[in-house]
Amino acid sequence: MKAGHLHPQTQYLRLLVKIFEEMGFEVVEAPEVDTEWYNFDALNVPSDHPSRDVQDTFWLKDGRVMRTHTSNSQVRAFENHEPPVRLVCPGVCYRNEATDERHEATLTQFEGFYVDKNVTVGHLFYVLSHAIKKMYGANIKYRMRVHNYPFVEPGFDIDVMGKSGWMEILGSGMIHPIVIKNMGLDPEVYSGFAFGMGPDRMVMQKYGIKDIRLLRSGDLRFLRQF
Amino acid sequence: MKYLKSWLEDYVKIPCSNEELFEVITELGSEVEASTAFPEIDPKISVAEIIEIKKHPNADRLQLVKLKTAEGEIEVVCGASNIKVGQKVPFAPAGTMIEGEELKEAEIRGVKSAGMILSERELGLSQDHSGIKILPQEEKLGRPVAEVLAADVTFEVEVTPNRGDLLSHYGLAREIAAALNVPLKKPEVHLKESQPKASEKIAVEIATENCPLYLAKVIKGVKIGPSPQWLKERLTALGVSSINNVVDATNYVLFDVGHPLHAFDAKKLAGSKIVVKDLDEEVETTTLDGKARALIAGTTAICDKEKPVAIAGVMGLKNSEVDEGTSEVVLEAAVFNSKSIRCTAKSLELPTEASARFERGVDAGAVQAAVDKAAKLIQEIAGGEVLTGTVKAGKEPLERKVEIEYERILKLTGLKLSHSEIDQILTRLGFKVKNGEAIVPLWRHDIYVWQDLAEEVVRLVGLEKIKSESLLHLVQKPAQTDFYRRERIKDYLVRWGLTEAVNYPFLSEEDIKAAKICAKDLLEVSNPIQEENRYLRNSLIPGLLKTVAKNPSFDDIEIFEIGHVFSKKGEAVHLAIATSGKSSRQVEIIVRELTDKLNFPGKEFKITEIPRDELKRFKIKKPSACVAEIKLDEILDGLKLGDLALDVSGQKVAYRPVSKFPPVKRDLAFIVDKKITLGQIKEEILKISEKAVLVEPFDEFASDKFGEDKKNVAFHIWLESRERTLQDPEAEAEVEKIIKALLDKFGAKLR
Repeated sequence: MKAGHLHPQTQYLRLLVKIFEEMGFEVVEAPEVDTEWYNFDALNVPSDHPSRDVQDTFWLKDGRVMRTHTSNSQVRAFENHEPPVRLVCPGVCYRNEATDERHEATLTQFEGFYVDKNVTVGHLFYVLSHAIKKMYGANIKYRMRVHNYPFVEPGFDIDVMGKSGWMEILGSGMIHPIVIKNMGLDPEVYSGFAFGMGPDRMVMQKYGIKDIRLLRSGDLRFLRQF
Repeated sequence: MKYLKSWLEDYVKIPCSNEELFEVITELGSEVEASTAFPEIDPKISVAEIIEIKKHPNADRLQLVKLKTAEGEIEVVCGASNIKVGQKVPFAPAGTMIEGEELKEAEIRGVKSAGMILSERELGLSQDHSGIKILPQEEKLGRPVAEVLAADVTFEVEVTPNRGDLLSHYGLAREIAAALNVPLKKPEVHLKESQPKASEKIAVEIATENCPLYLAKVIKGVKIGPSPQWLKERLTALGVSSINNVVDATNYVLFDVGHPLHAFDAKKLAGSKIVVKDLDEEVETTTLDGKARALIAGTTAICDKEKPVAIAGVMGLKNSEVDEGTSEVVLEAAVFNSKSIRCTAKSLELPTEASARFERGVDAGAVQAAVDKAAKLIQEIAGGEVLTGTVKAGKEPLERKVEIEYERILKLTGLKLSHSEIDQILTRLGFKVKNGEAIVPLWRHDIYVWQDLAEEVVRLVGLEKIKSESLLHLVQKPAQTDFYRRERIKDYLVRWGLTEAVNYPFLSEEDIKAAKICAKDLLEVSNPIQEENRYLRNSLIPGLLKTVAKNPSFDDIEIFEIGHVFSKKGEAVHLAIATSGKSSRQVEIIVRELTDKLNFPGKEFKITEIPRDELKRFKIKKPSACVAEIKLDEILDGLKLGDLALDVSGQKVAYRPVSKFPPVKRDLAFIVDKKITLGQIKEEILKISEKAVLVEPFDEFASDKFGEDKKNVAFHIWLESRERTLQDPEAEAEVEKIIKALLDKFGAKLR
C-alpha cells in the first residue's frame, strides 16, 4: 500500500544512464565545488576571454567555483582513466542568476565523452542520434547545427521538434585539442567527442511541468505524484 | 545584437524569405532569437499619405488629418503630435481589428472619423504609443502595412563570443553572402578632403603595448544638431537612442561596419598631441554616462597634454564631450588589446558596445575604412570640412597562417570533398589560400588550428552531408560505480515508503540561524545574486526540515535525500532521512532496516529528535520530527545491496500542476466491489475533479461484514484552487461531486 516516490529527475537520469550504459559508457562523477582550472581554464575558457561571461558563476570566498557544468569531469576523469574511454557524468551544476519559472540557479546536467584514436564527427552523430531516438521515440524529428563552444571544435547543438517548434536539447562537439592536451593526452594521436544536456527541461517537457523551481521545491503535492 | 534586414541589404541582396534567412543564420552557428515573432497585422491596414492637417474645431489637442489612400481622400481625427504633411502612415479603415477589437466609424467631438492612423502599440509592434508610426517615404499608397513591415524586419541574433566579427550589419552580411554564395557589396567611401593636412592640427603618439594602432581625423566647421530621420530610424530600430548628429554618426558606423569610434571636441583638447598610454597614477574623472569614476593606475587611456580624455576602448570622458557648442571634431579609430579592454571594462563594471567589440577583437584591416566612413557621414549630416589625410600611429598586425590539414579535416568530419572544394569554401569565408595554408582574415580571432578550419568547412557545407559512423561494440560491460549503489539505496527507501526530496544545496542567513549552524564552518559564496544562495550546506537536514515545514497539509511525512554537502574539509555525499507527524518515530525503524538488511553501520547514524524550539524556528507546525544522517560515501563499499542493475520501471504519471495556494486534505472511505482496483478509483477521482491535485490510497481490506465480494478502500485527497485558497464550502462541494461520481461509476458507497 504505502510505497514511496522517486524524484522524477532521478528517474530520468537513470533512463539516460541506461541508454548510454548499453553503448558501453561508464558513470564517473566529479565534485560540485571545484577549482577554476577544472571548470574553466582546462576547458579552454580562460579568464581573459569573453567566453567566460556566458555562464554566470558562483565564486566561493576561498577562490573556488560552484561548477557551472558537469564538464569539470572531463579533465579529472583522465587522472584515473586511460583511453579508450566512454564516460558519462550525471550531476548538479550552478549558475548565479535570478530564478523564475524558466530559470534556475541549481541545475541538473548529463555530460558524456568518448576519447580514443580516430574518433570522428560521424561517431558523435551515431551515438547522439541513437540516444535521442531512445529518449524521444524512433520517430522524433531532430536536427544538428553548428554552434561554437570553447571546449569543442567543431561544436554542434541538437534540436528536437517540440510542440511549438525546434527546441535545443544538447550541446556537443569534438573535444578541443587544447582540452585533449590538458587531459594529459597527445592531440596528434587522440581525439574525442563530448556532449552535455539539461535533463531538467527534459523532465519538464515529459510531464508538462511549467515551473522549473518545482523540481527542488520539496512540495509533496509535486513529489508524491511520481 | 539586433539587426535590421534593410540595413543588411546595403551589403547583400537577400534572395530568400525572412524565415529562410533566420534558418540560414542559425545553421551557421548564431541562433536567431525571438525571430521578431511578428504580430499578425490586419491586411486592411494600408499605407496612406498625409495631405493636410487642421485643428479640430472643438478640441485643442486633436487634429483633423486628411489622408490620400488608394481609394481616395478621407479624413480622420488624430491626437498625435509627431505627424507632418507628406508623411506616409498606417491607415486603418472602419472594420479593422485593432488590439483585439473591431474599429467602428466614429464621431469624435462632433467630427466624423473614417478610421484611424496608428501608433506602434496599435499595430501590435511594441508598447510605444507616443506617436504615429511613420512609414518609409517611398512606400506605395495602399500597400498592406503588414507587407511593408515584414519587408524590413528587426531581429536579434545571439552571437557566440568567438564571433565578434558578426557584431555589425556588414559583418553579418559578409557571413550570409559566404553561406549563400552570393556577391557582397563592400563598403566604399569617397571622401572629399580639404586643406590643411590633419597632421598640421594634431599629432598622435602610442606609449603603451595595449594599442597597436591609432588613427585620427579632424573635421572642422561642423554644426551640431539632430540627426536626419533615416539615421534616427535605423538607430531606433536597434534600440539605440539618438544623441546628436556627430555622436550618432560614430554609433552608426559601429553598428554598420563593427568598428567602435570616438569623437572628441577638438577645442576641449589641451595641446595638439594625443597620447595613448597607461596611467601612472589613479585619476578621478567623469565618464560620458555622467558617472564619477576612479581610473586606477595602469588603465590604458587616451590623454591630451594635461589629462585623460577617454578610457581606451570603453568610453569617452565628459571633459572632451561633443555638445551643441562643438565646431571641430577629432575622430578616433583604434585597435586596442582585447585582454586589457576586458580587464578595464570589468573592473569599472562598465561593459559598452565598444568594449564588447574590442574584447572579441576588431578587424584591424578595416580601421581606415571605418574612420573614413564616419568622417564622410559627419560631413553629410553635420557639414564641415574633413582635413586632408589621417594621422596615424602604430601599424596593422600581420595575418596569421594555419596549415590546412586536408586529410585530417576530411577524416574528422567524414565529409567527401576535394582539396579544391575545401579551398573554395575557405575563400568564400575570406581566407586566402596559398600553398596548403589558409591566411586568416584579420576580422577572425577564432582560427588557430586545423580543427577550427574543419568547423568552417562543416558550417558552410551543412551537417546533413555528414554520415554517422557506428561505434565499435565493447566486449566489457561498463563498471557499476558508486552511482549505482546510491540508486539501489534509493530503491530500498522508496520501497519502505519514503519519498525522495532533492533540495537546494544552499543555506541562507535565516536557515543557519534556524539550524544553529556556525557560519564560520561553512563555505561561503562571495557573489550571490539571491540572498538564499549565501552559504553551502554542510548537512542535508536543514533542507529536509524546510521540506517538512512547507507541507502542513500532510499529516505523515517520510522523506530522504542523498546529496552533496560541503565544508572547509571537503565535499562529501550524505544520506539523510526525516520523518514527521503521525509517523515521526518511523526513522528509527528505517535505520534498523538499513542496518539489518543492507549492512549499514547503524552506529554511524546520528538519529535526533528535533527539539521544540528548533521546530518553531523552522516554522514546523507538527508536534514532532525526527532526523537521521550518515556520511554515505565512506560506507558504500561495505553495504550489501544485491543486484545493482538500474531500475527504470517508473510508472506512467499523468502530472497535475500544483497551485501556488495551499491545499485542503479530505479522507474518504468507500465500500466497493472487490474487482475494482485502487488505480481505477484514483483515476476516476482525478478525472471528475480538477481541484484534486493528489490522490493517495491509504487503506484497502475485504471483510464479509461489507457484503459478499466487497471491500473497504480509503483515500487521502488533496484539493486546491489555482486562483485562491480553497474555502471549506468549495471543498465540500467538490467532495460531494466525487462521492456521486464514484457511486455512479462503481456503485461505491461512502462509509
